Amino acid sequence: MKKFLSLLLAFVMLFSLVACGDNPSDSGDGKTPVNSGDNQGDVNVPDDGGEGEGEASDSAVTEFEPEATYTYESWTSGLSANWNPHDYEDNNSSGQLGYLIDSFYTMAFNDELHPMEDATRTPFDGYLYIPSMASGMPVDVTAEVAAEHPDWIPEGATSGYAWEIPLREDLYFDTGYHITANSYVEGMKRILDYKLQNYRSTDVYANTYGIVGAEAYFKSGQYALSEFVSANMGADEYVDPANFTTTADGTYQYDGKDVVLDIKSGGNWGLDGGISTYAGQVDQVDRLIAAANEKGWVYLTPDLLKDLQDVIAMLHSAADVEEYAASAGDYAYQEFEEMVFFGFDNPEVTYEDTVGLYAKDDYHLVEVFKASCSGFTLFYNAIQDYLLLVEPDVYDSCITQQADGTYASTYMTSAETSPSYGPYSMTSYQTDKLIHYSRNDSWYGYHDDVNNVYKDPTDGKIYRTYQTTDIDIQALEGDAAVATAKNMFLSGELVTYGLQAADMDQYRNSEYCIDEPGASIFFMLLTGNVDGLQAREDAEGFDTAVEDIQTILCPSFRKAFAVSFDRQAYCDETSPSLTPGYGIFGKTIIYDPETAGYYRDTDVAKQALCDFYSVDTSAFSSLDDAVDSITGYDPEAAKELYTAAFQESLDAGYITDADGDGKCDQTINIIYAIGAQSVTDIMQLRINWMDTAIVKATEGTPFENKVHIKASAPLGGGEEFANALKSGSCDVCLCGWTGSAMDPYNLLQAYTWDSYSYAANWYHPQQDMLELTLNGETIEMSVYDWAECVTGNDVTVGDKTYNFGTNNADQETRLQILAGVEGKLLQTFTYIPFANDGSKFLLSQKVYYVVDEYNPVMGFGGLAYMKYNYNDEEWKAYCDEQIAAHGQLQY
Amino acid sequence: MIKYALQRIIYMFFVFMIISFMSFVLIRMLPLPALPPNDPHTAILEIRREALGYNKPYLEQFWIFIKGIVTKWDWGTSEKLYIGRDVWQVFVEKLPASMIVNLYSIIWTIPVGIGFGILAALKKNTWVDYLISTLTMVVISVPSFVYAFLIQYILCFKLRWFPFVMKAGTDYFSWEMFKSIVPPILALSFGVIAGFCRTTRAELTEVLTSEFMLLARTKGLTKTQATVRHALRNCFVVIVPGIFGEFIGIIGGSLIIERIFSVPGVGGLTLNAINGLDYNIFMLSTCFYTAIGLAAGLVVDISYGFIDPRIRMGSKK
Repeated sequence: MKKFLSLLLAFVMLFSLVACGDNPSDSGDGKTPVNSGDNQGDVNVPDDGGEGEGEASDSAVTEFEPEATYTYESWTSGLSANWNPHDYEDNNSSGQLGYLIDSFYTMAFNDELHPMEDATRTPFDGYLYIPSMASGMPVDVTAEVAAEHPDWIPEGATSGYAWEIPLREDLYFDTGYHITANSYVEGMKRILDYKLQNYRSTDVYANTYGIVGAEAYFKSGQYALSEFVSANMGADEYVDPANFTTTADGTYQYDGKDVVLDIKSGGNWGLDGGISTYAGQVDQVDRLIAAANEKGWVYLTPDLLKDLQDVIAMLHSAADVEEYAASAGDYAYQEFEEMVFFGFDNPEVTYEDTVGLYAKDDYHLVEVFKASCSGFTLFYNAIQDYLLLVEPDVYDSCITQQADGTYASTYMTSAETSPSYGPYSMTSYQTDKLIHYSRNDSWYGYHDDVNNVYKDPTDGKIYRTYQTTDIDIQALEGDAAVATAKNMFLSGELVTYGLQAADMDQYRNSEYCIDEPGASIFFMLLTGNVDGLQAREDAEGFDTAVEDIQTILCPSFRKAFAVSFDRQAYCDETSPSLTPGYGIFGKTIIYDPETAGYYRDTDVAKQALCDFYSVDTSAFSSLDDAVDSITGYDPEAAKELYTAAFQESLDAGYITDADGDGKCDQTINIIYAIGAQSVTDIMQLRINWMDTAIVKATEGTPFENKVHIKASAPLGGGEEFANALKSGSCDVCLCGWTGSAMDPYNLLQAYTWDSYSYAANWYHPQQDMLELTLNGETIEMSVYDWAECVTGNDVTVGDKTYNFGTNNADQETRLQILAGVEGKLLQTFTYIPFANDGSKFLLSQKVYYVVDEYNPVMGFGGLAYMKYNYNDEEWKAYCDEQIAAHGQLQY
Repeated sequence: MIKYALQRIIYMFFVFMIISFMSFVLIRMLPLPALPPNDPHTAILEIRREALGYNKPYLEQFWIFIKGIVTKWDWGTSEKLYIGRDVWQVFVEKLPASMIVNLYSIIWTIPVGIGFGILAALKKNTWVDYLISTLTMVVISVPSFVYAFLIQYILCFKLRWFPFVMKAGTDYFSWEMFKSIVPPILALSFGVIAGFCRTTRAELTEVLTSEFMLLARTKGLTKTQATVRHALRNCFVVIVPGIFGEFIGIIGGSLIIERIFSVPGVGGLTLNAINGLDYNIFMLSTCFYTAIGLAAGLVVDISYGFIDPRIRMGSKK
């Protein structure tokens, strides 16, 4: 027996030695095998004068200490419990997911290794897309795909729709699963699996650059409501109800499709609850609601259609549809088509024949988009590869059917169910407590000396991205979280700490204080809802003899209000991380991502501000100087305007001057909407500041000491503040819009689409005309139409159709439109620009960013470009020493 | 006693079902957040709501809910806070952290609280009594989160004796873990110590002045013997139910303390479930605490009979 065991042991040892020797990539540290050199020839090798694939050798890269650990410690107010790329819903989730994934192409700072085409650029002042999981740049295969699948590509199109992406051959999940082009196809099938109802499924088809056929595959065989009937009729827009057919059960159909009202759908009702909001108010609505099935769908019959038409007529102040038709004609009978849907069974389709995402071979993936795209748009907007790729074995094992028949997935809800193909693996996750990531050694990037490296501008050496070896994300919740985080930061346990107003005096000048500008601009939204304000005055308890609110509707009052506030002082005294803002678009909004050009730096944008703030540009040596002179604060003009507003308000009957002393008899209490559960100290500080400012601005005017800004009762979170402003139950709020930091054209929809606009109830961009001269042609159309055509939609004026989208107009023309619309929006005096968003944070002495200047697209480069002054062991020793000497770390 | 207990258990079942049904209907009656009309995700969320039975009658929804529990012990999956995860697993995962903090807290607060109470009673109207009574009043008057802040600032930040927050992981009985939960234990303890101290002092003071205590002394017992054998046993009729209550509270968690010290417990689960309209988590925690509360009432009632044999349960006479 002993002999047998000895032989067995010897055999095992021998086998082990052979196995180790056979694998050249095995460094003996237990890492997953990778094949970093197999396809170097395909990779975007920088033009460094070398011989190509062999030049970017290991010797050129300065390695970090291999045994040292560099831990990035951060905190969050709430850890997400689900970061499934198919199903995540919030930013916390995408943040947690971000460490586990990679993409075909990634943004990198420009340096000698990754130079931009623009020769005037200096290192680290811009960015460019470089291949990451891809082995080369995408190839336009539109013509080729059009020949094979003519229904996928618009007739006549030869470029921009279909792209072939070559993949690296050394891509692996940390489970060992080898990633090929087919892995993306498998992921696509899973995200579009109807039974899973993945939240992100719509992201692959319901946007401009969605994948061709994805929606048809998702809805294959499902009964569903389509878009509104009117939207489905194309150029005809409306169908004559007389052409509806009636089924055996008496319900209407058109072209084989049901005509369905969803009583809970907000849609074009302009109300979140749709027609059900009017329940109990008129019999017609009640009959419609009674006819709804459990989904809230009403299959219209002739009687129910008549009820619906009557309800719409009543909203136009007519007794019924016949009376409405007297003024609106046939439209009165067709308007309901803007509120009802077509319902039908979607045809059964197969993936291969339908969906424009397929593997050409193991390492070439073809994506076919619904719209033409290229360059930055292709990389940034169209390719959303991270949504697709999942580890199929783990994914499938995580799906279970519930007692109620629905399916649930635990994929990416724990460390065990979170396979990674990104730079880090999730090694532990505790619900609501902590996530720990460690370096994912199977990630090809740690062995790639071509793309995942940069040349440090400080010492000129080449380093790999991602020096960080471990990441801890701690959950700190509740009101005490910030105080705890500050103490932890000062003890060396966190890498960053976001400064609060109370910290500014102590830390704003610290060499470790980092300014991070935000893309949003905060404007003071001043309600103009006539009916809402009237309703408040009509309400019981509102004494119009001593109080008024409708004066804020007077044009002069709104103008006076706009120039009553010293923005700089506001920022300094209440919100030091903000900077004064004067336009609809903030200073970091980029109009051209290809060049990272700031909109506010363009001449047309500067001129738009000068025009609005009545700056005589001829009095300045340059447009820049003219813009710099804008403060938005003019106390003298404010007094004149308040005096004019007094007369306007008297004439309108809003206020009185019974004793004829030239002073307003009423007090105007402007209610500031508190969109929170309670009025915090900082909110009260800001409102007090505004109140003091307006009291000062009205001194010596008929409104002296008669205008005040007061906080509303807390309205709760979410969009309650916006609803209060829209309805006129509150008057002002400092608010703004996030998103679209690189697409201000798209951001216009926040102001022109009723479903978004804060001012939808009183500002109608469809009726606000704007005349612009573009390329010698003077065109007049509504603000709404300008916004539509600059975002790529056709707009017909007279017999001419305009489209100033990305692919149809040059950048200068589009900028001109943008500036024109911005000027118009400012003139509404509904959006009164106040401050640019921003934040300040302290960066630990443990780390530093390679770049000093904030880049609105790349930020400071994130973890990829973060370097360490100390490894974990050195840092602990340093902290102990500093705290022993000073009680805390000194910043 | 058994008949009484069985009777109470049957009543408990009906009360439990009524409370569960009311909770179920009330939480489902809260209006769902409106879905933005132009968001492409709205369609998928509407499909989800439909599939989850949000549009079915409440009775039908409740039947599906109960059926899942009875037949499969399936409490459903989280629909908002922990999307896709089994809510029972989430609850069970978070329970130990709350329990361990509360357990350690009780283990030392009860003897300390009762000890100080006994001391104050025995030293009645001396400086010791005055000191303990004054401190008790101060401690009871100050909410526990104030101690939490002070403890975190002084012991964790200034003195660096303990970590700022509870250690991550499930090694609840390791030294590192124990060290990290000392601050929340202390923050939770002060109020409980003061409470037990005050109750014990009041009860013992009353008992010590009773005539049977004089009789015990005249029979020849020492003061210690009389106090331990007679006085303490009598005052425990009031104290022991309080101790049971504290043990029941072990699984309750504390919203504020858990948040300050980042204890991944059940403290805020119910509240978050209401705010997030996560029906299944809300129902699980509601049912769980309803059951625990009803059981605690029964246990406390029955415990009276054991502590004081004169008390008989369910007697009609």
